[in-house]
Amino acid sequence: MTSQHRIRRRMTATTPVVLSLLLLLFVLAALSLGDRAMARMAAETLIRVTFVVGFWVFVGNSGVVSFGHAAFGCIGAYVSAWLTLRPEMKATLLPGLPEVIAAADWHVLPAAVAGGGVAALVALLTGAAILRLSGIAASIATFAFLAMVNTIWANWTSVTGGTSSVVGLERYVTPWVALGWAVAAILVAALHAASASGLALRAAREDEVAAAASGIDRYRHRLLAYTLSAFFCGSGGALMGHFIGVINPDGFYLGLTFLMLAMVVIGGVGSLSGAVVGVLALSIAVEGLVRLEKGISVGAVTFALPPGSQEIILAVAMILILIFRPAGLMAGREVMLPARWVAGRASRET
Amino acid sequence: MSLQLVFDALALGGIYAVAALGIALIFGVMRLVNFAHGQFIACAVFALIVPSTDALAVLGLGALPAPVLVPLILLIGAGLAVLAEALVFRPMRNASPVALMVGSFALGVALQNLLLALYGGRPKAVSLWAELGQPVQIASASVPLLQLIVIAAVAVILAGLALMLRKSRLGLEMRAAAEDFTMARMLGVRSNRVISGAFALSGGLAAVVALVLVAQTGVADVRMGGQIMLVAFIATVVGGMGSLSGAVAAGLGIGAASALLQAGLPADARPFRDAFLYGGVILVLLFRPQGLFAPVGAKPRV
Amino acid sequence: MKGLFRPILALAALSAPAFAEDDLTIGFAIAKSGWMEAYDTPAATAAMIRIEEINAAGGLLGRQIRVVEADTRTDRAESAKAGLDVLDQGAEMMVVSCDYDFGAPAALVAEGEGMNSFFLCAEDAKAGIQGVGPNSFSSSVLAPVQGATMAEWAHARREARTAYVLEDTFIEYNKGICTGFNWMFPQLEGAQIVGSDTFKNDDASIASQITRIKELPDQPDVIMLCSVMPGAAAAVRQLRAAGINSLILNGSAVDGSYWLEATPDLSGFVVPVQGSIYGDDPRPEVEAFNKAYEAKTGSRPASQYAYPGYVLIDLWAKAVERAGTVDGAAVTAELEKMRDEPTAFGPRSFTADLHHQNTALMQIIEITGGKPARADEWRVSQPVPLDVLMKK
Repeated sequence: MTSQHRIRRRMTATTPVVLSLLLLLFVLAALSLGDRAMARMAAETLIRVTFVVGFWVFVGNSGVVSFGHAAFGCIGAYVSAWLTLRPEMKATLLPGLPEVIAAADWHVLPAAVAGGGVAALVALLTGAAILRLSGIAASIATFAFLAMVNTIWANWTSVTGGTSSVVGLERYVTPWVALGWAVAAILVAALHAASASGLALRAAREDEVAAAASGIDRYRHRLLAYTLSAFFCGSGGALMGHFIGVINPDGFYLGLTFLMLAMVVIGGVGSLSGAVVGVLALSIAVEGLVRLEKGISVGAVTFALPPGSQEIILAVAMILILIFRPAGLMAGREVMLPARWVAGRASRET
Repeated sequence: MSLQLVFDALALGGIYAVAALGIALIFGVMRLVNFAHGQFIACAVFALIVPSTDALAVLGLGALPAPVLVPLILLIGAGLAVLAEALVFRPMRNASPVALMVGSFALGVALQNLLLALYGGRPKAVSLWAELGQPVQIASASVPLLQLIVIAAVAVILAGLALMLRKSRLGLEMRAAAEDFTMARMLGVRSNRVISGAFALSGGLAAVVALVLVAQTGVADVRMGGQIMLVAFIATVVGGMGSLSGAVAAGLGIGAASALLQAGLPADARPFRDAFLYGGVILVLLFRPQGLFAPVGAKPRV
Repeated sequence: MKGLFRPILALAALSAPAFAEDDLTIGFAIAKSGWMEAYDTPAATAAMIRIEEINAAGGLLGRQIRVVEADTRTDRAESAKAGLDVLDQGAEMMVVSCDYDFGAPAALVAEGEGMNSFFLCAEDAKAGIQGVGPNSFSSSVLAPVQGATMAEWAHARREARTAYVLEDTFIEYNKGICTGFNWMFPQLEGAQIVGSDTFKNDDASIASQITRIKELPDQPDVIMLCSVMPGAAAAVRQLRAAGINSLILNGSAVDGSYWLEATPDLSGFVVPVQGSIYGDDPRPEVEAFNKAYEAKTGSRPASQYAYPGYVLIDLWAKAVERAGTVDGAAVTAELEKMRDEPTAFGPRSFTADLHHQNTALMQIIEITGGKPARADEWRVSQPVPLDVLMKK
């Protein structure tokens, strides 16, 4: 006979597994449909999962809205570009790079990890200052950080290429590569959420005073979550760059910031599953509407939405979801295997 | 500091101050950071060329004489905001501040794409009050007439609003609601009226920004208002969330800082102006986390 | 908007009819929604005009040209998808979005297939060999050439000796214009740049920048304004309102009369263009095109940016005829042999080093009393060197 508490814990442990399987299913479904645009859409969605899960590690656990995470994507993308672009290409496009980086010719995987690593380091340094603030002041400070990174990247021409897109990134990100990163992000996010630090952070989110009274140092736990979340946003940025093949500071600014926020909120900020479901729901909705805009043939008649209507319909749908499910699609719940499943094979699971 | 610089700083700061006030009013009563405010501004701009959608913009409403036009555009701005409140924000009133914010952002996206579908992505010329461009000599400074009008209009609006907030019943209710909304409701403040009132004022202020922008730049563009909204948002927080006078002061301050940096930075650093500006914002927040003019109620419990 | 919708409908109607097996397919991965749409649609319509002319004359290599399209939605990720989409529809050559940023992801897809790609009107050297790859071209005139043209013309024809440079840091195009001007103007005899400043396209006011100009001991002969709409119109209105009456020079991007109302009775404002939309171009082919465009869409081109679309199909078709195939490498080899190849809008050249125009005959449009008219034509005395183009 297993105790209720142990069953709950095992059920919680199944969440990342179920989510990963869900993503695997999504990739298989997309690939079996056969057209290349669908495979692209699957890869893009999974990159967004990496991004948004990373974003959720901080926002979901701490309850602080961050506007700054797109900047980590920007940093990750450019670090990966600096390390992997052919040296002769860098000499023409980015003449201001320091010698070591200009000569670097890294493999794409360590470069993506380095992208995440540098983003995490920047998060650690800036977070040390910003996270001393609470609530909306912290949010605004992260926004100011985003605007600073964007201004610097758009104008530091010899190193970042300025407003001109950096092109020539190796396009290696297939749906499988993106799936690997997305699963890694989900696993780490689940581990962090279940760790003492994750629990402490959520406790502080629910009741700041009580948590402080119980000896929780909110600042330290926030900083850890911020750094961890920046790592995956940085890697996500690197993936995005190597997915499109072209990077520009503008691609990591307000558009991405709000896309991430919208996905987390639509899915439900209260749970990891919410973050993943939010990405899937919005991405699939966008793809469906885009296809409707192209036109669907029924017999001899073609129905098509007017160009540009996708954005309007999606925005209206988002508002409706927020009105009828203000806590998001998942409303704070996690997907997990039912209790009788995990109780039955308890010995094998843990 | 030269007199010219004072006028330049006031002109930019004045626009930001009015926009920040529009954001702060709504934040005060319902903790909503309204990201659609920028699109309210854009809609008010495009209202000037209604009903024409031609590539060459024809002033429709904008051709009316100013005494008719100004109240009409203000009404349109206010009406749009009140409509948005009734359709989008009232049904969401129990949602978390983050969900509200995302909702306002979605509303902004919908409005912007609607304008894009109707008017296209090419900016349109709107020659509104071109004669206001005449420079006027004041002591050592030469200032376009419009700049003076902007500064004067901002002063009048702020004074009028302050008077309304202090003297009228709605103003009293709004101030009470901004202090502590739940308590105010318990004491008999009519929440729907207060919130609708705040949205109407905020929309009217968006229309003021729209008129000033059009008179200043002579163009209508669907992306207009976005940058001003962001600065205003920052100003609202730096000023102290919920403090109306704080928002105005911070809006003026950010505009002035931007003008001063533009004037003072060496040429190579000037493209990085905004990085300095936002760095300054972070510093201010670190030293005054509650904002420069935090209302008493904003102090945390610990 | 009516004027904008019509070409879309026309494009849609053209791609609809049933096609024969051996048709030659061109894929348009362009913005049909979002703000880029306003720039892509006129150029794509112009390309269609040339395609229809070719089809009417018997086609290319004896094959009729068929057009397929996909919408980039003014979004980089969607641009790559649009590239794949037209590929799946059988495209053998790809026409991509006007702007380098938004066209490059689709062009990279074409490059990956060894196919030719043409930007509708990109004016950054990277939209070619230096960025996208060896089979990518643009038929427009590089931004630095526009800036250099302004510098040399103003010096020669308007005795400009002092210049002030006002750069909008919003997009790369603006910086390219200033790069060309800053390279050319100081080389000219007795000419000097007396100051420079930057602003952002969406700045609500440029009062401080104006104050800096007014504080100069003497007002400059010319102001080089490197900006695009809507910031450019706003800057001009504010400059003139402040009583600054220097000649204002610009890049091609501000061509068109749609924004002139912003500064009523504007004078002393000069734009270099590839052809005049105002009916006064000395070359009859240009006016013939304007008429054809009007017949097709119901209105004349709103700016010169329709022209590169026509030119690119013209040049590519010539290269295909010469190569006898649409294979990317073979067509590229023929394109790279072009030296001053005549087109309706002036001669065009491509080399193995540059798939852009580093010099071009440009028409000079001057706005006087709010009326734009062709004032002159000018070709820079020396091509803009590659080092300048790449900002080394």
